Amino acid sequence: MTNVDASKIIKLTINGAGLEALAGPHHTLLELLRNNGYVEVKCGCEKGDCGACAVLLDGEAVDACLTLAWIADGGDVWTVKGIGTESKPHPLQKAFIEEGSVQCGYCIPGVIVAAKALLDRNPDPSDADIRVALSGNLCRCTGYTRIFSAIHKAAEEMRREALTHA
Amino acid sequence: MLPRFELCQPRTLPEALGLLSEANGSLRPFAGGTNLIPDLRSGRDRGGKFMALAKLDDLRFIRSADGCVEIGGRTTVNDLLHSSDIERDAPALHASARAFAGHMVRNAATVAGNICYGSPSADLLPPLLSLDADVMLAGAAGTRTTPLASFNLGYKKTALKPGELVTKLSWPHPKAGMVQLFYKLGLRKGDAISVANAAVTMALQDRVCRHVRIAMGSVAATVVRAEAAEKLLLGRELNDCLISEAADLAAAASSPIDDLRASREYRLHVTRVVVKRLLCQAMGG
Amino acid sequence: MLETLAGGAPNVQLWQVGKPLIRKDAPNKAYGNTLYAGDLMMPGMLHAKVFRADRPSAKIVRVDATKARALAGVRCVLTAWDLPDRLVVTDIPGQTGGKTKNTAQPILAKERVRFFNEPIALIAADTEEIAAAARDLIEVEYAPLPGVFDPVEALRSGAPQVDGDANVVAAYRIRKGDVARGFAEADVIVENRFRTQVQEQAFLEPEAGLAWMDDKDVLNIKVSTQVVEHFRAIADAIGIPHNRVHVEAMYVGGGFGGKEGLTIEMMLALLAYHTRRPVRLILTREESFVNHGNRHPFTLEYRTGVKKDGKITALEVRLTADSGAYSKLSPYVLLYATVGAPGPYRVDNLKVDSVVAATNNLSTCAFRGFGTMQACVAYEGQMDEIAKRLGMSPLELRRRNFIQTGDKNATGQTIESAVWSEQCAVQALKALGEPARGDDVIKIGRGLACYQQSYGRIRWFKDSSEAWVGIEVDGTVIVRCAVTDIGAGQSSSLAQIAAEVLGVPMEKVVTYFGDCTLNPLAGTSSASRALYMSGNATKLAATKVRANLLEWAAKHFAVSPDELQLADFRVFVVDDPSRGMPIDELARECAADGVHRHHLAMFRAPTSEGLDPETGQGDVFPDFTFGAHACEVAVDTETGEVTVLKSVGAHDVGQSLNPQSVAGQIEGSALMGQGFALCEEIVQHNGVLVTPSFSEYLIPTAEDVPDTKAIILESRSGLGPFGAKGMGEPAFAPVAASIANAVADALGVRVFELPITPERVINALVRKEANTANAPASQSA
Repeated sequence: MTNVDASKIIKLTINGAGLEALAGPHHTLLELLRNNGYVEVKCGCEKGDCGACAVLLDGEAVDACLTLAWIADGGDVWTVKGIGTESKPHPLQKAFIEEGSVQCGYCIPGVIVAAKALLDRNPDPSDADIRVALSGNLCRCTGYTRIFSAIHKAAEEMRREALTHA
Repeated sequence: MLPRFELCQPRTLPEALGLLSEANGSLRPFAGGTNLIPDLRSGRDRGGKFMALAKLDDLRFIRSADGCVEIGGRTTVNDLLHSSDIERDAPALHASARAFAGHMVRNAATVAGNICYGSPSADLLPPLLSLDADVMLAGAAGTRTTPLASFNLGYKKTALKPGELVTKLSWPHPKAGMVQLFYKLGLRKGDAISVANAAVTMALQDRVCRHVRIAMGSVAATVVRAEAAEKLLLGRELNDCLISEAADLAAAASSPIDDLRASREYRLHVTRVVVKRLLCQAMGG
Repeated sequence: MLETLAGGAPNVQLWQVGKPLIRKDAPNKAYGNTLYAGDLMMPGMLHAKVFRADRPSAKIVRVDATKARALAGVRCVLTAWDLPDRLVVTDIPGQTGGKTKNTAQPILAKERVRFFNEPIALIAADTEEIAAAARDLIEVEYAPLPGVFDPVEALRSGAPQVDGDANVVAAYRIRKGDVARGFAEADVIVENRFRTQVQEQAFLEPEAGLAWMDDKDVLNIKVSTQVVEHFRAIADAIGIPHNRVHVEAMYVGGGFGGKEGLTIEMMLALLAYHTRRPVRLILTREESFVNHGNRHPFTLEYRTGVKKDGKITALEVRLTADSGAYSKLSPYVLLYATVGAPGPYRVDNLKVDSVVAATNNLSTCAFRGFGTMQACVAYEGQMDEIAKRLGMSPLELRRRNFIQTGDKNATGQTIESAVWSEQCAVQALKALGEPARGDDVIKIGRGLACYQQSYGRIRWFKDSSEAWVGIEVDGTVIVRCAVTDIGAGQSSSLAQIAAEVLGVPMEKVVTYFGDCTLNPLAGTSSASRALYMSGNATKLAATKVRANLLEWAAKHFAVSPDELQLADFRVFVVDDPSRGMPIDELARECAADGVHRHHLAMFRAPTSEGLDPETGQGDVFPDFTFGAHACEVAVDTETGEVTVLKSVGAHDVGQSLNPQSVAGQIEGSALMGQGFALCEEIVQHNGVLVTPSFSEYLIPTAEDVPDTKAIILESRSGLGPFGAKGMGEPAFAPVAASIANAVADALGVRVFELPITPERVINALVRKEANTANAPASQSA
């Protein structure tokens, strides 16, 4: 058993690179990430209502605000920046840009994480599947319409890619 | 920002039970943390000493054994949602998992966590109750099994003793032809706390009710069974009139309150509507 | 789903405007590269927290921060007693800094608490944890002071006074024509009362910012805000000159009016100024809910006289709204609702009385629609009730009453631009397609709502906006404009305009925006004015630069300037395009010859001197946008649940700059309006907030989205660049009204109070049953 002032070194792989950082039991993964430069992971509510802080942890989409740093220790984390970059964008990012799915942009990092988690599991999602996948992500600007169309567009491109490489 | 607290993370069930027993009631276990962490942040929970069950993967399973469906306490809500076995064998539970919060929370929230938090609006409870689920508990002294019906005692009160963990829930494999239905009413379609929810399990033979369970949530201090309604239906041939009467009895068995989300009158009204609807659906096949 | 229907002859050949070009901010937002105000850090940065009152109304007897100050790591604790008695102006954020109403608000509460969670103290400490611990050590002694929590109560004599000596914050009247005669002439009179609720903007990014004093003794504030012009109020409140406050707006993660008033700039400024250290403040969601003003709740009483053929003969309206504890923008919200009360209809006999009262409820302030959309819920509900009474279709009734170009509106202002209400309504209804099939339990309903929403600010604010456009010697273009970018593509649209005018592809234009010191001031991103005002300023500036370049090129190619065109990064002779040169070469040559390659332009909106206080007549706004929204809903008549199946917005935007952005506004508005109609409500019990987070305050999720369509019509008659009209609020204005109308259509009875929760639907059906049983012809509100 630890005492209240305990902290320990947490080791994570984030977007493929290793991070070692000090954290106490009461620190969330969200705080750990943001305090170590991963500010693309956004804070919207700190209680799992909005999904702005969604990251992939060991392959599953989780709210970083509800994940304790000590519990994430040793985990493999992916944020929107690891999912794709300007030089090598993920089809989701390309589609979001082209479809006009980005307005204020604050929900987008979490939405892209949730969308990637969906496409990782289901390469041909229906609208109903997308609703389930995005059920934990709030967006106030877009009405989700273009987010849906972008996910369909990305899925289609990824299926085409998979066929040409098959 | 969370207040400071103490945390341990046992790797095995015996280690966990050992720590609980040593701590003599001062150590509180949690799994997904989807209720605990917001409660700590808001001050509703004053903090203290916690035990994270995250590493107890042995308790995360969905399987069949001895004619029963068994789910480990650490099974997440998404584990249920993604399981074709649950979809086939426990469709009401599957539907409640579908209606539960949002995707990311479903990846963290566990079955044991949902039943131990003791909220009357816990979405998994009505289906589990309508399946006559048993709860297996493990403590330093050994294991015991108690019906879920005796586990939820009141608002955020359960029969979990200090030093115990919920290791699994189980219920008999549904017989062929058993219908399992669930309905959740919230103030929006996605990620909402139930205003009223209900589950019905029924077996019919030539329109005669051979088995029925009606469980209702969010309309009393804990999830309740509509036992008088069940008694009315058992052994009788179903028709609209009988179902209507049963729905009246079900509503009478609830004791909803006025709160932010709805008034008592509305909850009574909609409980009756939902139970009737589920019974009609069950009758219709 | 997007459809564009043009009308009117295009007056210029556009090669970039009107195209769905990729918005400049979209890529970095999609890659996670964009920094928001809460992402910034500086070495030595302190963390701020705010101590707030735990009750809505009280006398403050004593505030003791001794223990808080003594905590190790605490650098500063400020209470009202540490500040000079300067109040902060909370109205008319704008480029002139003029003030016409007394709307001062204490920065920190001193003698009184006037609303729940009103700020009392500010703390800056080495870590967030220490700041929070210090906050918990602040001791306040309160004495009871009765509060008032309903505007009607607040207006009664003897009611507790919230601020000042009367709870009336503002009141207006319109007297046009002769309502008595109008009612006498009417064949049918319909009277109803509507209620709309408090709505929270619920932008995803909570308020955040970072402030520091630099080596020029300038106070720098990087913040999420819709208005950089608050620098003046900040300077005055602290007691430093205006030219020493530098506010820079980051990309804003949603505003919708909730970041139009001062959010946390003053708090940051005070702490940075007192500590001389960088200070960061990020609000929690719960703090965000109480920190900014929400949407004014309204009671709207409508009495309409119509002839059998549907023509409106008289309209009498009474509006009552809740200002919360401080005036903020209440006088203007009320004015917009008052002026907008009749909707897009010709009403020659009009009587409006409106009042907004102070209460100890949470602040109300600017929110997309700004009073006009609340009126829309009422006037469009009223139109459908009238249509039902007359046995006429909702569209036909509206057809017979639509205001037309050349008519005078409620305040006697002549509508000069195109009024395409009918075309928009027809398109919206057509796009609903085949009706869904209901059954005994599930009833299908359709609803239409039209509107008249102003764009541009109140004329007597004498609004203006400035922009600087320059071309570099490599042919790239710079736009400088202090407009704030709150997610609707404000900064990208200016680049698109400059690109269009200078013949340079949009990728070669960069907009520097949001900086009150380094950019020319543009005014607020609000009132659907950014494209109109800053777009016009940018177009003016770019046009002057274009003229200078073409003057040089004309001499070079020995033609007249109007024989030349700039497009596709070339200047060329229109009749002989092979004669030309690339724009970078043109820019270099011009630079070498000392041609003026940049220009600072100011665009001024039309002005007026105000309304006649007796009649309410006068010109209020520059212009109006017209359009329609149509919905199809399925109502479960047993549970009361409403599902929106289809949602279509059809709007005449004048000229769409970027059709994708316009569609995005329509689609986003459709869902925000749906939330207002069905599930969003800020609930207070005697001034105490009981919906403090997204668990209790429900905005629509991905699971609530209907089949949504956006239809763009282009009359090219707007006052904005290329004939554009403002869109940010117009797209939102009619949505909730159309859903309320659809539900009434489905049920055969109306829910008069928003949000239309399942419970309210059941209550309405019970009422309908009772009415059918008792008195078939009664109308009740």
